Amino acid sequence: MKKDKVYLAFIAVLAILVLATSCLYALEAEDFRSLIPVLVIAVIIIAMAFFVLTRYKDVRKGMPLHDERSKKVMHKAAATSFYVSLYWLLFISFFEGFFAKMFQAEHLTASQTVGGGIAGMAIMFLIFWVYYNKKG
Amino acid sequence: MKNRIKELRAKYNLTQEDLAKKVGVRRETIVFLEKGKYNPSLNLAHEVAKALETTINDLFIFDK
Repeated sequence: MKKDKVYLAFIAVLAILVLATSCLYALEAEDFRSLIPVLVIAVIIIAMAFFVLTRYKDVRKGMPLHDERSKKVMHKAAATSFYVSLYWLLFISFFEGFFAKMFQAEHLTASQTVGGGIAGMAIMFLIFWVYYNKKG
Repeated sequence: MKNRIKELRAKYNLTQEDLAKKVGVRRETIVFLEKGKYNPSLNLAHEVAKALETTINDLFIFDK
């Protein structure tokens, strides 16, 4: 119970730190295109905030943070998002020119490619987690 | 797989939240169990049966 609360507090602090860093980055942004990564992070942070709030209420009521069903849902979502992200990485490499244009560059840098891959995987994980959580 | 969780829960005047706390799972898990959308592990089935003072055979109806 106490361990669950510490875990949730850790996620909340992490989310605040990531959000603060993104805000600092956004202040330095020159145009809308450079704000795209910040928007992606914002979507992930909103989802994390929703997760923390709902789970905190349950933990206060005396229910566990995770049980066998929630663990299964998480594992299934992680496995599916990993599988689909392979196609996403392939998609990025095929349409590298298109994505480079978005960042007004000739080619994507390694960090942009890896960042895009990870962000895509995180969003896919969120989508599959919501889907499997609703499906049962 | 059908089950009698809802029926027995009503018999003992337990809410889904009460049963979830007794068994040590989240409330949504009880919701999905009642709807037959989630097949529990043998361990969880045993815990639910114990909480509802019955046996796994009486609680879960295998229709295949």
